Amino acid sequence: MADEGYGVGASLLRREDDRHLHGRGQFVSDIKLPGTMDVAFLRSPHAHARIRSISVPPEGRGRVFTAADLPRVKPIRVTSHSTGAKSPPWPPLATDKVRYVGEAIAACIAPSRGEAEDLANAVSVEFEVLEAVVDAARDMRGSRHTVHEHWADNLYIEHVLQGGDIDAAARAAEIVVTREFRMQRQSGAPLECRGVLAYRDHRLDEVVLYASTQTPHTVRVALAEILDLEERCIRVVAPDVGGGFGPKARLYPEEIILAALALELDHPVRWIEDRSEHLLTAAHTRDHHYKVTAYADGRGGILGVDAEIVVDAGAYGLWPQGPYHEAGMVARALPGPYTIPNYRAKHYTVATNKTPLGPYRGVGRPGACFVIERLIDEVARAVGREPNEVRVMNLARPEQMPFTTIGGMRLDGGNYAESVRLCAELLNIPAIRVRQQRGEPDGRMIGIGFATFAEQTAHGAAEFAARGASIIPGFESCTARILTDGSIVLMVGIQSHGQGLETALSQVAAEELGINPARISVRHGDTESTAFGFGTFASRSMVMSGGAVARASRMLRDKLCRIGAHLLQCDIAEVRCADGVVSGPQGSVSIGEIAKVAHLRMDGLPPGVDPLLDATATYEPAIGTGVYSYATHGAVVAVDPETGFVELIDFAVAEDCGTMVNPMLVEGQIRGGVVQGIGTALYEEIPYDETGQPLVGTLADYLMPGAAEMPAIKIGHLHTPTPHTEYGMKGMGEGGAVAPPAAIANAVRDALAAIGAEINETPISPRRVLAAIKRAREAAAKA
Amino acid sequence: MTAVRLNINGKVIADDVPPRLSLADFLRERRNLTGTHLGCEHGVCGACTVLVDGEPARSCLMLAVACDERDVATIEGFAADRVIEALRRNFHQHHALQCGFCTPGMLVTARDLILRGKASSEREIREGLAGNICRCTGYTNIVTAIAEAAKETPHG
Repeated sequence: MADEGYGVGASLLRREDDRHLHGRGQFVSDIKLPGTMDVAFLRSPHAHARIRSISVPPEGRGRVFTAADLPRVKPIRVTSHSTGAKSPPWPPLATDKVRYVGEAIAACIAPSRGEAEDLANAVSVEFEVLEAVVDAARDMRGSRHTVHEHWADNLYIEHVLQGGDIDAAARAAEIVVTREFRMQRQSGAPLECRGVLAYRDHRLDEVVLYASTQTPHTVRVALAEILDLEERCIRVVAPDVGGGFGPKARLYPEEIILAALALELDHPVRWIEDRSEHLLTAAHTRDHHYKVTAYADGRGGILGVDAEIVVDAGAYGLWPQGPYHEAGMVARALPGPYTIPNYRAKHYTVATNKTPLGPYRGVGRPGACFVIERLIDEVARAVGREPNEVRVMNLARPEQMPFTTIGGMRLDGGNYAESVRLCAELLNIPAIRVRQQRGEPDGRMIGIGFATFAEQTAHGAAEFAARGASIIPGFESCTARILTDGSIVLMVGIQSHGQGLETALSQVAAEELGINPARISVRHGDTESTAFGFGTFASRSMVMSGGAVARASRMLRDKLCRIGAHLLQCDIAEVRCADGVVSGPQGSVSIGEIAKVAHLRMDGLPPGVDPLLDATATYEPAIGTGVYSYATHGAVVAVDPETGFVELIDFAVAEDCGTMVNPMLVEGQIRGGVVQGIGTALYEEIPYDETGQPLVGTLADYLMPGAAEMPAIKIGHLHTPTPHTEYGMKGMGEGGAVAPPAAIANAVRDALAAIGAEINETPISPRRVLAAIKRAREAAAKA
Repeated sequence: MTAVRLNINGKVIADDVPPRLSLADFLRERRNLTGTHLGCEHGVCGACTVLVDGEPARSCLMLAVACDERDVATIEGFAADRVIEALRRNFHQHHALQCGFCTPGMLVTARDLILRGKASSEREIREGLAGNICRCTGYTNIVTAIAEAAKETPHG
């Protein structure tokens, strides 16, 4: 690894920072094109209704577009190869029916957004309101109404994942722990909402779509299909994107409609989502119900887990992966990194009259981790042992690696127990236990909780094919180009929206080419300038795109060496490429000089070597099922039994993501992920009432973590490079968000142990804490 | 339309605006000062924080007409400002930004905390940032960067 201070392993400061620190970032809403008109969407106020008629006021003629006005637009339709999967068509503008509050009905155009909203308000729609399906667990087998009327029930898919013999585990068990768990619906809520700007470029015969998306290339794939255009006639650009976290890794109706409007109209159109619209219509996430039983022996060894998992997936499937991924991931991740021999998970993905469910940092795993880690602690309590002792005795051990869990996750290496030990050390548990015993002067109760997990990352073709996916994001691409002066441009198919990939990918090329990253540009997020790639999600970009950059850079290095050896009149075996020069026994020639020969003075090229320094490479890790980072998170809380308020006093992460290309960026991702996980654990929730009305619509009622409530987060690293990737790196973008709900719930349980209260539902709001304390006290009084 | 005259980043700007136009939309749409970001448009997230007559203000909640004859400073200003310079340097050094969307509002608020002597401890800085949401960083590095910048510019 490089020790020059800028290659793989260096905490190089970010090249992205300067523009943002001066307010010169370029987000979709910052782009100005002459003649642009604003679009506002008229949206359904009802969860479930038939549209009887739509009437447009006279001033709206030619400025209000319904589905009938845009006949070329086909419905969004996800295909799945899984047995029994149902896939409803989703018209980007509603036709005869609306199926969730916020579903788009018409696009209204005006010179400013305010005027466009005025116009949307002037359109009247006559609805026949239908009963809404809102309770996934109750209504999955069908109710008087189904969300999709030709369906016999409300199930997108149901499946059983099992291994071993769960009935034998039940018979052998000395300890049986049964619990219900709930992880409420929430929003991904990047600080920049969604946005689209679209126009027609007549010179290039294309429609250009600037969109706040994590996946520009696949958005183009879908637009071509839905609008019946050839892909060469569509360009999608993701400029600066103000956070993504998963919800922006899907195709949305608004992107389709804006592209369709740009084709119809002779001016640019833009739609900039506001926060209320975002909370209402951008993909929701989580919303899991669980009934789970753990079977254990008398020392806490887990013999089996039997789970029923219900995921409330909302009214439609978001393209490309549909509603299917969430429950499948939960089922496979639920056994965690444990050596549980027997397992059964029945999982149900249910259509309801709610906003469609999409991916959000962790995808399924925060719920799975919440369930198994709460069970580990309850088994430990049942056998009278410290939770971490039971945790460690059940974890896969280093000598068992690679270890395939009963959920089918192939852990490729590492020392999971050591992460438990390191995390406890970071929190100084003995001191906390003393404080806990002493009691707080203000009557609050101190608790400590831990959670351990494995994070599947950079999964490739094998994984997505097994999921029945129609689009298999199994590789990434890079075109590396050295220009005539020796400066370098990397063009990559991923998208960077805060991760610092412009910096980290330049470090990879610097490592391979021996060039200072200051001479390297990274282009991403534009279908015009980059080879096809899938985008940034699933903790994949550093491994996959970094691998592609390494390969393309090596192809260039080989060519530089060949030309350099010719210019130095020596054998290629005698030269090396480092510090911006190719050097041989008798001297050296700079990359700039070689680049000049390769472009401007091709008479200096060796025979048989073509001009240009331009290489495109793709990369897929050597293993298609993913490489596994892992971590243990630990939380220390103070719970006020009078108010139910939970304060986080301390939080620590001990993790292993293999080789870190840029440790500073890795720690930034961990801390950011943890705080999102804390949001899931304590604050964020989108409740619905019985009629399918969402009960939050602003950041005043949807609570996001703020600086004042967050602790400084401690981090410790373990280092187990994986043999399956370039440099041994593993993805790690999502892990931070996975374990906080579990660790905090365990800490709250520990704090309230004397009362006997436990909270098995997120967010752990004061209301839920008080209710749990009340239940426990009532149960104790009866006993 | 209402005639207004604002001093924006040291330049006097006269314009006719609809009475309902927010200061944020005025800055972004009419003046192309797009460093002022809109994250919620209801005064919670703090991304649109600017200075009005030297005081931090939510530009999404203020009307442009209410800023007639007033001084407005946005992230594009602060040309020779020592505190903003120290904040920018420390935000970079300590990796205190990721997507960059909250950053301009964060810097304007942080500058105010330092100038008011409200950045002397981690607790004080965290309380002071209560009105600025960052979804990416987890705040730890932002707090460190502000604390360091405050040390470098003790009297603002």
